[in-house]
Amino acid sequence: MTGLLVTADPTTCVTSCMCVYRAPEVFDQDDDGLVVVLDARPPAELHDAVRRAARGCPTQSITLTDQPL
Amino acid sequence: MSLPDAVDYPFAWEPPMEVPAGWRTLREHSLQPVRLPSGDPAVLVTRYRDVKALFSDHRLSRNTGRYPTSRISPNNEIFNDPEIDNDPPRYLEERSLVVRAFSARRIESLRPHVWEIADELMDAMAAAEQPVDLMESFAFPLPIRVICRLLGVPHEEHAKFRELVDGFLSVTKLPTEEVERCRVGLWTYLGELIDAKRHHPTNDLTSELVKISDEDQKKLSDHQLQHWVQTLLIAGYVTTASQIGTSMAVLLHRPHLVREVQADFGIVPTAVEELLRYQLMGTSLGSLRYCLEDIELSDGTVVPKGSTVMLSVESNFDEEVFTCPMDLDIHRRENNHMSFGSGIHYCAGAPLARMELQVSMEGLLRRFPGLRLAQPGEDLPRVEGGFLGGFSYVPVRW
Ligand code: HEM
Repeated sequence: MTGLLVTADPTTCVTSCMCVYRAPEVFDQDDDGLVVVLDARPPAELHDAVRRAARGCPTQSITLTDQPL
Repeated sequence: MSLPDAVDYPFAWEPPMEVPAGWRTLREHSLQPVRLPSGDPAVLVTRYRDVKALFSDHRLSRNTGRYPTSRISPNNEIFNDPEIDNDPPRYLEERSLVVRAFSARRIESLRPHVWEIADELMDAMAAAEQPVDLMESFAFPLPIRVICRLLGVPHEEHAKFRELVDGFLSVTKLPTEEVERCRVGLWTYLGELIDAKRHHPTNDLTSELVKISDEDQKKLSDHQLQHWVQTLLIAGYVTTASQIGTSMAVLLHRPHLVREVQADFGIVPTAVEELLRYQLMGTSLGSLRYCLEDIELSDGTVVPKGSTVMLSVESNFDEEVFTCPMDLDIHRRENNHMSFGSGIHYCAGAPLARMELQVSMEGLLRRFPGLRLAQPGEDLPRVEGGFLGGFSYVPVRW
């Protein structure tokens, strides 16, 4: 079993909101509309949504790393 | 590698209710030379993976007013203000001041107001004689009223405002002098609006930007402020109106899909997304760039320095990325289409546009369960000679 480490870069975020739409349990935005990670190690049932969120980001500001649990 | 012969762009909208023939074979070549409506040359990057990469490539400049970029039409200076720097890093600093108003939370807080506007427009439709033109009665008034609300245009000035905007954007066909009168009139009006907000701030985006500009002119000068307010208008009005009208027409042309949505309104966001991908109104003219250096595409073809480049929205039909791309699948799960662009110029208003499209589809199909086209979809007239090739008239009955 591997876990997933989620990081996001607010300096390249363009506020498309795609991550919030696709994985609201894991991504949020600050007052400037920039990405905030709520849960850097989301449970397995959210991995699919998180991967779709990462693929949907127009500036590839989300990085996913597979990690041993 | 030799390039194919240049073709006229935009392509013909044939067949009318399907993916146009010219888009289907486009990706055989990674770079397609085209002639713009002005007669000037440009190149169209056709494949999704190249389009996506080039949207984030700084060797393509969006400062088309500062370089010898090909013209779209003989007189389209309006979108090129040479005083405005459209490239990073400066551009991103300005953009960030604006897009904070388009966060998921703030757009969601506008949703009830958009429902109110939609309900009012549908009340008027219900009282009118059928068939009703969906463009005139719903698709155009909805986004302009939403923008008025966002920018804080007072209610009693809506009519005057829309007249100037419509004239300037040639929504209504007017002689050149009239368009010019509206252009100047709108710019003057926006200056007055900004002044009014300076003295009496209200709860809207214009007042928010005025405050930033007054605190620090280096962050946002008066001219930049006025330019941004105008840009939001230009970029957010006719685009959204065309997409509301055209996507509803494409859907209504397929009654079995209408029934599917009505059986489960939970699929509205997915259906809206698929109709954005499968849009039969967009062209790639909105993504015009100037090429600052030779750029190699993934198959080795070179985009030459000095060329005018378009990043293809037709890449929404690239079979390398989308399963059965020519099918309209309102349940499509992975849908990273290019209709809002990509990279640093990704449509700033996309969250708002999405929400307006969702409210429109759900509102119309709930309020008018028997909604249908009053004329065969194949016969709907299109807007001629603009950025967008959406339908100009969409008569409906219910
Ligand atoms: C369905 C409706 C819409 C479509 C299809 C659309 C499409 C696009 C596209 C393709 C771009 C990228 C242009 C480029 O790369 O050069 C763009 C940019 C932009 N859009 Fe939209 N748009 C829509 C609605 C809106 C709305 C509602 C607003 C605001 C109220 C808006 C504001 C903007 C702005 C400000 C930009 C420039 C962003 C930048 O350059 O960083 N758009 N839009």
